[in-house]
Amino acid sequence: MNMIEKILARASKKKEVKPGDVVVANVDTLLLHDLSGYITANVFENEVKKDLRYPNRVAMVFDHHFSPPTQQRAEVLERNREFARKYNINLYDCGSGNIHNVGVRGGFVRPGTIVVGSDSHTPVHGTMGCFATGLGNNSNAATVMAYGKAWFMVPKTIKIELTGHTKPGVTPRDVALWLTGQIGEGGAVYRALHFTGPFIKELDVWDRWLFPLITIDVGGKCGFIDPDEKTIEFIKRYTDEPFEVFTSDPDCEYENILRFDISDLEPQVAASPTLGNVKPAEGFAGKPIQWAELGGHGGGRLEDFRQAARILKGRKLAPGVKFNAVPSSRETFEMCLKEGIVEMFHQAGASWFPASTGSNQAINMGAMSKNEAMISTHARNFPGRNGSPEAIMYLSSAYTVAASAVKGCVADPREFMEVS
Amino acid sequence: MKIHNKVFGVYGSDVAAEQIASSKYVTAVTPEGLAKACMKDIDVMFHEKLNNGKIMVAAQNFGCNSSREWAPRALKFSGVELVIADSFARIFFRNAINIGFPIIECEDICQFCEEGDELDVDLSTGLIQNLTRKTEKKGTVLPDFLLDIMTVGGLLGKLKAEIEEKSSVAYAGESEGKPE
Repeated sequence: MNMIEKILARASKKKEVKPGDVVVANVDTLLLHDLSGYITANVFENEVKKDLRYPNRVAMVFDHHFSPPTQQRAEVLERNREFARKYNINLYDCGSGNIHNVGVRGGFVRPGTIVVGSDSHTPVHGTMGCFATGLGNNSNAATVMAYGKAWFMVPKTIKIELTGHTKPGVTPRDVALWLTGQIGEGGAVYRALHFTGPFIKELDVWDRWLFPLITIDVGGKCGFIDPDEKTIEFIKRYTDEPFEVFTSDPDCEYENILRFDISDLEPQVAASPTLGNVKPAEGFAGKPIQWAELGGHGGGRLEDFRQAARILKGRKLAPGVKFNAVPSSRETFEMCLKEGIVEMFHQAGASWFPASTGSNQAINMGAMSKNEAMISTHARNFPGRNGSPEAIMYLSSAYTVAASAVKGCVADPREFMEVS
Repeated sequence: MKIHNKVFGVYGSDVAAEQIASSKYVTAVTPEGLAKACMKDIDVMFHEKLNNGKIMVAAQNFGCNSSREWAPRALKFSGVELVIADSFARIFFRNAINIGFPIIECEDICQFCEEGDELDVDLSTGLIQNLTRKTEKKGTVLPDFLLDIMTVGGLLGKLKAEIEEKSSVAYAGESEGKPE
């Protein structure tokens, strides 16, 4: 069996599971966010009408809001808070950071466990050796909250083996963006993706995280990386809870194996309307942008700020460009303060926003008119996600975001870097 | 479970959940609010077309990306009785089953029928008959456990039935063996 099959088997008290089996498994963590927490709460209170069985396993994170922009939004947040208090679940209010970063840093994500959530990017936690996937409100309310369980169909698994070293100026995010295009948006429907190979093994955990992150956007159920010493050391920073590590058997079966050498890859950009519309940055070079942002699911990490700082140091944003710096957690902001990144960004003309998920769906910020375009580290670029359906979202590495902000148009970051 | 109706629309691949029920238009998560917002950015004629039939057809990866349960709910509340697609994105697939909204996967379904065709669909056997063209095709039958959830009106219906019967108790059993 592979890692997730072992986790699902253990959690459903079976010796073995195989693709196509449907199991009812114990769930270790439920992550809820501010956009749907109250909807799940309503189903739970009005229709399920049972006790919330394991409140300590549930975390609700307000990450689409750092400050409610309207009375209606304020009331939604109040309803979320009221539910969290009533059932004594873990509440992370406005300004805490992105749901998945907070989930990890709060100790809710441990190898060998099952993590579910109402956010579709929940599979990101497969990075930490979890079976992690997104569920809807009814699953969460009716079975996870009431019984600590959920049903799962065991998926077929595709192995993705990455080898090689990236060129200077090319980052793991470029590889992940490119890979999304290679697999295709419907390329892994209902599949598990096992990311492996020397390239993945050499990455630090926060960089590995960019790979399971793409799972949902190629249609997958979950993505995972077999935990190793790096994973264990990483998780122990955030939790003292015991955990059991599962890894894939060397002879486990795959539906398909995809092998890629990423050594020749150039910086990548994915432009609206889809994530699959990904090309080397030079393919979009010169396209004007008015907004740049480090933030979003998988964005706004310390690694992103450090990359952008290499380019912004001693430079100014191009006239007319606004740069949103949105840390993924309060800890990230603190590190940026200590490393002088906050001041450096400020002097370049960027604006700092509270720890949150930034312009994700333009709930709290980031709406655009039909004539505007943004380049960011966000996870999605669908038309209408940030205001006008005609506005364009370019997704790229933090290097490319910063280079484009300095130039006022999409730019290959290597022209601003001393590439040895 | 059988569904007999006409196809009102044939859509392409990667119809996103985010576009089926966009946060921009869903200001009220009520049946009416969701129905009104349904498919607004994809097909402005959506509600008009629903007067001609209740079966929706699409190509691959239907309902992709966002996890919102609003997406199948919006289709359900708009009056759609069944979606047949080459494939469904998994969270949409799961959400549809959990709210008791009928779906079936069938390869190359967009070549098998067009707007206005009358279909007879048996979800238990997977048989899809096109009464207009007098052809038939087999879709993927759901595992019994899931078909059962879908036909008793979703996960809540399933739980109520289980609790009333106090029988199989797939969910209600003790959850042990995990750290508290």
